[in-house]
Amino acid sequence: MEKQIARRSASIYVPIALSTGVLFALAANLVGGYPLVAKLGGAVWVGLLSLIVSMPLVTARVKKHWQGR
Amino acid sequence: MAQTIQERSVPVSGMTCASCVAHVERALKELPGISSVIVSLATNKAALKYDPAQVSLADIRRAVDDAGYTVPSDELVLDVRGMTCASCVAHVEGALNELPGVLKASVNLGIGTAHVQYVAGMVTGNQMKRAVHEVGYEALERGAAAAADAVDRERTARQDEIRRQGRNLIIAAGVGLVVMIGTFYDMLGPFKAIVPVFLSYKWVIGLLTTPIVLGPGRQFFTNSWRGLKHGVTDMNLLYATGIGAAYGIAVINTLFPTAGFGGEGATFFESAALLTAFIVLGRWLEALTRGRTSEAIRKLMKLQPKVAHVLRAGQEIVLPADEVEVGDLILVRPGEGIPVDGNVVEGYSAVDESMLTGESLPVEKKTGDAVIGGTLNKTGAFKFRATKVGKETALAQIIKLVEDAQASKAPIQKLADWVAGHFILGVHVLAVLVFIFWFFAGYRAFFNPGSSFILSPYKLGEIGVFGFSLLLSVTVLVISCPCAVGLATPSAMMAGTGKAAEYGVLFKGAEAIEYASQLQAIVFDKTGTLTRGEPSVTDVVAPGGKAAELLRLAAIAERNSEHPLGEAIVREALARGLDLADADVFDSIPGRGIVARAEGKAILLGNRKLMRDHNIDFSSLMPQAEQLEADGKTAMFIAVDQTPAGLVAVADTLKEFSAEAVERLHRMGLEVVMITGDNRRTAEAIARQVGIDRVLAEVLPQDKANEVKKLQAPGRKVAMVGDGVNDAPALAQAEVGIAIGSGTDVAKETGDVILIKDDIRDVVVAIEVAKATMRKVRQNLFWAFVYNTLGIPLAAGLFYPLVSVIISPELAGLLMAVSSVTVTLNTLLLKGFMPSIRHSGGRSLQKAGGLQPAHLPGNAV
Repeated sequence: MEKQIARRSASIYVPIALSTGVLFALAANLVGGYPLVAKLGGAVWVGLLSLIVSMPLVTARVKKHWQGR
Repeated sequence: MAQTIQERSVPVSGMTCASCVAHVERALKELPGISSVIVSLATNKAALKYDPAQVSLADIRRAVDDAGYTVPSDELVLDVRGMTCASCVAHVEGALNELPGVLKASVNLGIGTAHVQYVAGMVTGNQMKRAVHEVGYEALERGAAAAADAVDRERTARQDEIRRQGRNLIIAAGVGLVVMIGTFYDMLGPFKAIVPVFLSYKWVIGLLTTPIVLGPGRQFFTNSWRGLKHGVTDMNLLYATGIGAAYGIAVINTLFPTAGFGGEGATFFESAALLTAFIVLGRWLEALTRGRTSEAIRKLMKLQPKVAHVLRAGQEIVLPADEVEVGDLILVRPGEGIPVDGNVVEGYSAVDESMLTGESLPVEKKTGDAVIGGTLNKTGAFKFRATKVGKETALAQIIKLVEDAQASKAPIQKLADWVAGHFILGVHVLAVLVFIFWFFAGYRAFFNPGSSFILSPYKLGEIGVFGFSLLLSVTVLVISCPCAVGLATPSAMMAGTGKAAEYGVLFKGAEAIEYASQLQAIVFDKTGTLTRGEPSVTDVVAPGGKAAELLRLAAIAERNSEHPLGEAIVREALARGLDLADADVFDSIPGRGIVARAEGKAILLGNRKLMRDHNIDFSSLMPQAEQLEADGKTAMFIAVDQTPAGLVAVADTLKEFSAEAVERLHRMGLEVVMITGDNRRTAEAIARQVGIDRVLAEVLPQDKANEVKKLQAPGRKVAMVGDGVNDAPALAQAEVGIAIGSGTDVAKETGDVILIKDDIRDVVVAIEVAKATMRKVRQNLFWAFVYNTLGIPLAAGLFYPLVSVIISPELAGLLMAVSSVTVTLNTLLLKGFMPSIRHSGGRSLQKAGGLQPAHLPGNAV
């Protein structure tokens, strides 16, 4: 069960983190004037922090949902 | 089948902050069959209520492990004798596996051993041996080291942690200093001559920083990864992201200076190195100081003597104290500790009970007196019979009570834990926002290449938009650690409950401390609490001036009486050293008094009716009699040879320190109320003597709780002080129930606070300790929140547009360490706390007899 919860959770928080990173890169692109490395670095950092934020929240939710079934 | 809920305290290691507490609690609550979980960071224990039919200790351990922490376990090998077959193996395994704290026991019949895996501190080797013995086999422990008790284990674990972090600190600080010298090589001025130039090369600085990050800093990465795998975040993650980001960017800028991350001007190796050093410094100081707040419990544990000199079949044998059995005869010589509770059967001595009662003068012990395990025999030798052993002893009960109190959470702590637990995610969100702001707006608008770090001449210079934004984001993560918030309350509660225990005041929970500090009114039960609960002679009125002679005749007449008033007269006469002969004739007249003949005199002693029946005119003494009765005393008339001879007044008298205690409580601004089932006249007389201005008289025992409720009605916090037995409902109704004079049978008492001694001034001590503790909690929380409130905006660069300086990650790490240590050191100031009674020298030394047997279990009057 633990593995299933982990897999299900990861299928949610990983896309969230990736999208946040991508959104950041797009925003940086739209604003313009940033070197590529800064855009990439920023996207990675924002994505990483988003992963850290979403991981426990999503895992707890999924666990709750799973146990409630 | 009936469900049996078990209560267990399970040690948990690896917790560093309030967030860890929340994670462990959550992990345990998710298990089926767990009905209550309270995890304490201060004691590193989880207090659990669970149904063993639904969840085992092994499940609990697994859940804690899965959450990224550990339940420390140990292994013990027992040599088991007497096993002959597979069924014996099952018996022994069954007996061991049933013990609370045993995770797994496997028995090898071939070599006659039992390997027991158990939770350290929950079960002892002796308990295992006893369990094996009970199913018919003999067990011997292999290796003396295995017999180390829970105290030693806890101390060893703490010392290991201190040693581990100390080692980390030496590496991180030592190498970090070299990194600092290398980084600021250009600013060394004349000292450049003695510093090799290669130390300033970026790749050398990088090489030096790497072992710091991968050595002392590794714990933050491994711990946070363990948590992340299970979807939990803790303080370690803040450090790991901070150190990792600083180190990662520094490596990229060193290896690929043109990559656009700020180049060689933004290689913050020293940030990664010193940040690690400061965080490790914080951990080391915390491990060093945190143990000191729990010294009281260790002192109590140390009181238990290791061995007992037991007399069996006329032989003296030395046994481990926990192998003494009820009924054993034990010999105690001068200077030895008393191993268990019991009653003296032979000998005479003075025993120092100060470690349990807080009283300084040794207490006389003679045949029939109770002795308490853990106290120290001073002068003579005596023998006593064990009445309570193991977990039943007063000392074990006190230790359990203090441990439970330290593991409990005050309402204020629950709020602090909730804040700290949710803080880390909030901080990460904030770190994203800070990064986005500085990346998209702040850098362009406010960045000044001439700006620098606080307390550093180092200019930010060519740092790019990404490097600058990342720096501020990382600093926010590092400075926001809510360690201090998490430590603020439990450390103070731990010190407070320990300090109270030193004075013989046992708080059953942190909630009791919090409420005791907020009291507005205090209700005292009269009989047995404010008064002695037994009548004493208060006045002897002899018109002829021969009071002693009058008392002597009254005592002779009453000598054969079993009436409490008569006993009071005899007691007083004996106390005054009067010589009492036997009465020749004695007759008791119910509802009247007694008629006696002694020394050729006819003595009448009783009430008005007796005198009226015998036509004796007491009109001349009637004004005095009425005055005595108005004062709540019982006036007894004495006539000798048909002539009025005088009066003897008997009353329940105040305890020695009742008036002083009430006066001190008044001075503290509390309303003091007395509650009693007695008639109003007697109650008011006692209240006048003790200085209480509000009396609730003629209240039936079952109505006392209602009266307390009425006092609480305006929203006031009320304490009830009673003897803990018949006042139970009122004690339960009050916010703080204080059971006084309960001797040492503490666990059975109702009430939130137990006063070991029969000294009512300890009510004042309890309130003063509670106030001091809560003061400390508030101070700690204030400083912890001030630190975060000021630190976060500074770290986020709020003032950068105005002052052009920012906090470096390493300075943030130092501030974070300082905040935790400040809170712990502030708590340690409680160690010097002394109640006002001690300050003013008001507490008189205990009289011989001290903790009388009347206050001990089984001897209650």
